[in-house]
This record gives sequence, C-alpha cells and structure tokens, in this order.
Amino acid sequence: MNLNSFLLMRHEIVLIAVALIILIAEIFTSEQNKGRIRGLAIILFALNTIIGFFPATTGTLFGGMFTTIPLHIVVKNILNIGTLIVLIQSNAWLKTEENSDKFPEFYVLLISTLVGMFYMISAGDFLMFYLGLELATIPLAALVAYDRFRSQSAEGGIKLILSSAFSSGIMLYGISMIYGMYGSIYFDMLSPAMAMNSLTILAFIFFFAGMAFKISLVPFHLWAADVYEGAPVNITSYLSVISKGAAVFILTVILFKVFPTISDLWQKVVWVIAVMTMTIGNLFAIRQQNLKRFIAFSSISQAGFFLLGVIGGNEMGMTAIVYYMLVYIFSNLGVFGVIAIISNKSGKENMDDYNGLYHTNPMLSLTMMLALFSLAGIPPVAGFFGKFFLFTAAAQKGFYILVLIATINTIISLYYYLLIVKAMFINKSENPIPYFKSDFYTKLGLGICIAGLVIVGFASGIWETISKLAFGM
Amino acid sequence: MLNAGIPMEAFLVVSTLMFFAGVYGFLTRRNLITILMSVELILNSVNINFLVFNRFLFPDKLQGHFFSLFIIAIAAAEAAVAIAIIINIYRHFNTINVEDVDKMRY
Amino acid sequence: MSGEFLILFFIVAVVLVGGAIIFSNYAAPTSENAVKHDPYECGIPTKGLTWLQFNVGYYLFAIIFLVFDVEIVFVFPWAVVMKDLGMSAFIEIVIFFFVLVLGLMYAWKKKALVWE
Repeated sequence: MNLNSFLLMRHEIVLIAVALIILIAEIFTSEQNKGRIRGLAIILFALNTIIGFFPATTGTLFGGMFTTIPLHIVVKNILNIGTLIVLIQSNAWLKTEENSDKFPEFYVLLISTLVGMFYMISAGDFLMFYLGLELATIPLAALVAYDRFRSQSAEGGIKLILSSAFSSGIMLYGISMIYGMYGSIYFDMLSPAMAMNSLTILAFIFFFAGMAFKISLVPFHLWAADVYEGAPVNITSYLSVISKGAAVFILTVILFKVFPTISDLWQKVVWVIAVMTMTIGNLFAIRQQNLKRFIAFSSISQAGFFLLGVIGGNEMGMTAIVYYMLVYIFSNLGVFGVIAIISNKSGKENMDDYNGLYHTNPMLSLTMMLALFSLAGIPPVAGFFGKFFLFTAAAQKGFYILVLIATINTIISLYYYLLIVKAMFINKSENPIPYFKSDFYTKLGLGICIAGLVIVGFASGIWETISKLAFGM
Repeated sequence: MLNAGIPMEAFLVVSTLMFFAGVYGFLTRRNLITILMSVELILNSVNINFLVFNRFLFPDKLQGHFFSLFIIAIAAAEAAVAIAIIINIYRHFNTINVEDVDKMRY
Repeated sequence: MSGEFLILFFIVAVVLVGGAIIFSNYAAPTSENAVKHDPYECGIPTKGLTWLQFNVGYYLFAIIFLVFDVEIVFVFPWAVVMKDLGMSAFIEIVIFFFVLVLGLMYAWKKKALVWE
C-alpha cells in the first residue's frame, strides 16, 4: 500500500490533524496565552472546511473497509459547514469564566465526533461503521456532561452514554447474526447474498432498533429530550443537527446497500416508524414550555420527515435527504443560535420569556422568525423546498397516505412554530429581555445561517449538483 | 480439537443467555454501575457470537476476530467515559441510584 | 453430543444440585447464634460500617489505567506480524503511540497523576 492512497481519506486526516494540533497547543501553552486557542481553532477549522471543497479522488481503501464517492464528499462538506457554524456560535459561550480552564477540550471532543461521523459515512463494512459510530457518540457524551457545575448536564451525559451503549449492543447483536449467516461484514458482499428468512428479519430488527435509538425515532426517543435539555445549548444544537443528519444518511446508505433484497420488509417498518415519529414528536412539542425541550421534540419530528426520503429508496430520496440536511443545518442552527445567545446572556429558556422580544432585540427576532419559517416549511425560505422534495420522493414510490399524514403534521408543526413568533412579535411583556450587544462571532454565525437559508432556497443549482452526484452512485 | 467436543449451539446458548441477562439487568437494575455492567454483558455476548461464528463457520477468514478485538477496546473507552460521568453524578446528587437522578421530567 | 443430551444434562444438574441443597436443609442439624452472622474478619469483630467509601482518586487512576491497558489489544496482534508487514505498519504504530502519549501528557498536565 503506498502512502498516496491515504489521500482518499483527506477529509478525515485533515480533521484529525486539526484536533491533534489543538490538543498539543492545549498541553504546551501557558495559562495567559490560552485564550488564543479559541481563535486558532476557528481558523484551523475554517481552513479545513475550505480544503474540503478541493476536488478529491474517489475509491476504496483497506480492502473495501473505506470507500468514498462524490456524494460522501458532498455530505462531509455539508457537515463541515454545520460544525463551523456551531464552533463560531459557541465562541461567546466558551469565553465565559466557567469554561476558562476547559475550552480546548471542547474543540478536541467536538472534532473527534466529527471524525467519527466521517468514517461512519465512508464505511464500507460493519466494522468501520461501528468504529465511526462509537467515535461519534462517546465524545458526545463527554460533551453533554461538559458543564460540570450543573447537575442536569451530568444527568444528560449518563443518559446519553448508557442508552447509546445499550443500543449499540443491540445493534451489534444483529450484526453478529448477519455475520453468522452470510460470513462477511462487507456491505458489497452481503447485499447479493441477503435472503428473506426469519433469522435475517430478526437480525434486521435488532440492527434497526439500534439505529433508531441513535436517531431518536419514536418509540426509541425517550432519552432525547432529557439529553437535549441537560446539555449546554451549543452542544444541543450540534446533537440535533450534525449528529442526527449523519446518522440518517448512514441509515439510508445501509438500507440501500445491505438490505435491498428485503426492502418490502423495511419499507413497512419505516412507514410505521415515520408516522409515529412525526406525530408523537409534534404532539409532545406543543406541550413544552422550555425552548430546548421544545426544539428537542420538534427535531424528533423532523427526523420523521427525513424518513420520507429513506422510504423513497431511490436516488431522488437520497438527494432529498442530503438537500434537507443542508437546509435543516441552517434553519436549526439559526434557531439555536438565538436560543444560545439569550440563554447565555439572561439565563432564560422559557417561551413566556420571549414575549416582546421584537421590541428589544429586533434583529434576533427576525433571524429566529426566518429560521422557524424554514423549519415549518413556509415557501420563500429553503425549508419549503426541502420538505417538498422529501414529499415528492415518497410520493414517487406511491406512499400517498404517508405523504398525507406528513402534510397534516407539517400543519400541526406550523402552529407551534408560529406560537414562538407570536410571542416575540405580538405578545406584550412587563419585563422583556433587555437589549444585547452581540460580538463579532455571534453575528457572523447567525449571518451565515440566514445567508444559507436564503441562498439554498433560491439557488436551484445546489439541488441539481447533489442530484447529479446521487444519480452517479 | 475444539470441534470434536462442544457443539456450536452450546456456545450460542451461553451467548444468548448472556445477552438477555444483560438486557434484563439494564432495564431493572437501579445502580448506575450495575447498569454499566449489564451493558458490558451484552457486548461480551456479542463477542462470543462473533468468535464462535468465526471459529466454527468461517475459520479461514478472521473478520469475527477483528470485530471482537475492536468491541473490547471500545467497550473499555465507553466504560471510562461512563464511570467519569458517574463520579460527576455522585458529586452532584450524592447517590448513584437512577431513581434519585431525575432533575428533568416530562 | 446432540441437543437432547444437553437438555438432559441440564435437568440432571438442576436436580442433583438443587436436591442436595434442599435435602441438606431438612436433614442437617441447625443452630443459630449471633457470631454465625458476623462477616469473617480474622476473628476480630468489625468496627464501623463495612460499606466504606473509596477515595475518588482510585477511580481516576482506574480510568487512565483502563485506557492504556486495553490498548494492548491492538499492539499485540501488530507485534506478532510486524516483520511481515514492514515499514508502513511500523509508521502506523508509531502514530498510534504518539496519540496515546499525547493523552498521557494531557492527563499529566491536568494533574490527574498526582495523588491528593
């Protein structure tokens, strides 16, 4: 094996290098120079994002364990952009006194999870997939428990690590059954051999239950709300956007690549799970007063919408998922950016606290409104097209009832997203949240989100690029 | 030789029992450390599965062995992080009983 | 040996072991006194609670030890076939150790190795 072939893993190697440089900087810098690591981390990560866009070679490594195709590179770049926004948004929070002794770890852990997701996306066999999955979840648990002076943070961390360990145990049991039957863990060798028999079905159910835990699909969603509420806001945004998007993508890839011969079975399973996830996520979201919990449930129901693309089971569905992931990153990070600013500056996280926000912080309210409209799928912004393509993908395969249920759920979600908009613009408040002056990084983070929402909504070229790449696979 | 003695089914019975003992323990135990031990039980039962399938069905390829090696290493990393968080929980709540760790509810 | 034998063996084991316990329960003479219920502690009565709290520092060392202990899982297979794999495998293991040593240095810097 020559060293040139390692260039196939360029995205991963650059990320690992960034994480190691930050770790070395953390070990060897003196206390008074530590503040510079924040700037260094953001610059390095921005460089990494730019390098990601250079044309890359495709192929396989390690005897098929690792594959890259153009679509993988697109997804990795999208995740890079999302993580860059998260890093920029969290800058203000990391500057606070309580984080002064541990912020470099934040970067190292966050980048490690991203490396895990990249390996998971490029996995060509179950071993690489499992390694990537664990690399993506174990540091995340440490990040959720990052705020060590708040007891909810530790509680969320233990709930995440235990439920994810349990779910990967169940998933591995399914994988071991598949290995026992077909004698291989390589995706390419498994898919032609896969046959419909009871042991395969059992193995598939174990595997799917494990994955559903990770994406927090109903009925495996119970950990999600507590973890999202317990984690620091910036981590919650990362969890609900980046890590969920990557997991949905890899679930789709595995369903297409490994289980195409039993697609009749998994389409039924996905159908039921999608309906339950959308509906129950929505119904719980209406009841919430805490905005972090509210977004947690709304993101559970968004995962249900992702499943519409999964059930499509063709290139159209794949494209719709990747496109919606891009849209979802911008909209959800926009919402979380505003929530994070308000929670960090005033400590308020409840919906009533947002009453009259427009009169004190007009820019923040407008940002929040645009992002919420996008999540709800109101036409001018990108979210509408994202949902539209997902619905089209499912309708093409003839799942009309599912699309109908999804449309009803969109209307329900519109109701509760508009509740927040109403609180900000119409409701009067005795003591509204005072005006904040945001620093440069905060403005930059929100600016990227808004620009992304508008550009992705109006530039049809992005859809066509993704579509071309997906059809090429 | 191993093949002459114990049949493959015997190993699989052990691993299945271990798996469900782990699931049962995870769902019913109240002590966080014991829950963690239940998870390890599940992972080890998967290890047995992989090794047994490798040894009896596909002895010429070592994929099952690789897989179980990696599971062992990752289980250790998982345990390290989980124990670190449990220590932190003990500092906050003064207990590691799950029923008392319930600041957040629906 | 087929499945039936396994079941038979299991039943025989349960009957023999369980039967012995139940039989001895009825047949053996029993006597009760306080000393019998003491935990064995070299014949000396125990002082205080036996459920002692350990210093949390033990756990910290255990965590660090755990990670460096399990890494041998990867090094051992490498060592067995090192000669066949040649230079590239050697470079890979050096990178592996480099990352591990960074972790150790990090623990050192954070004063996790100091016993308080």
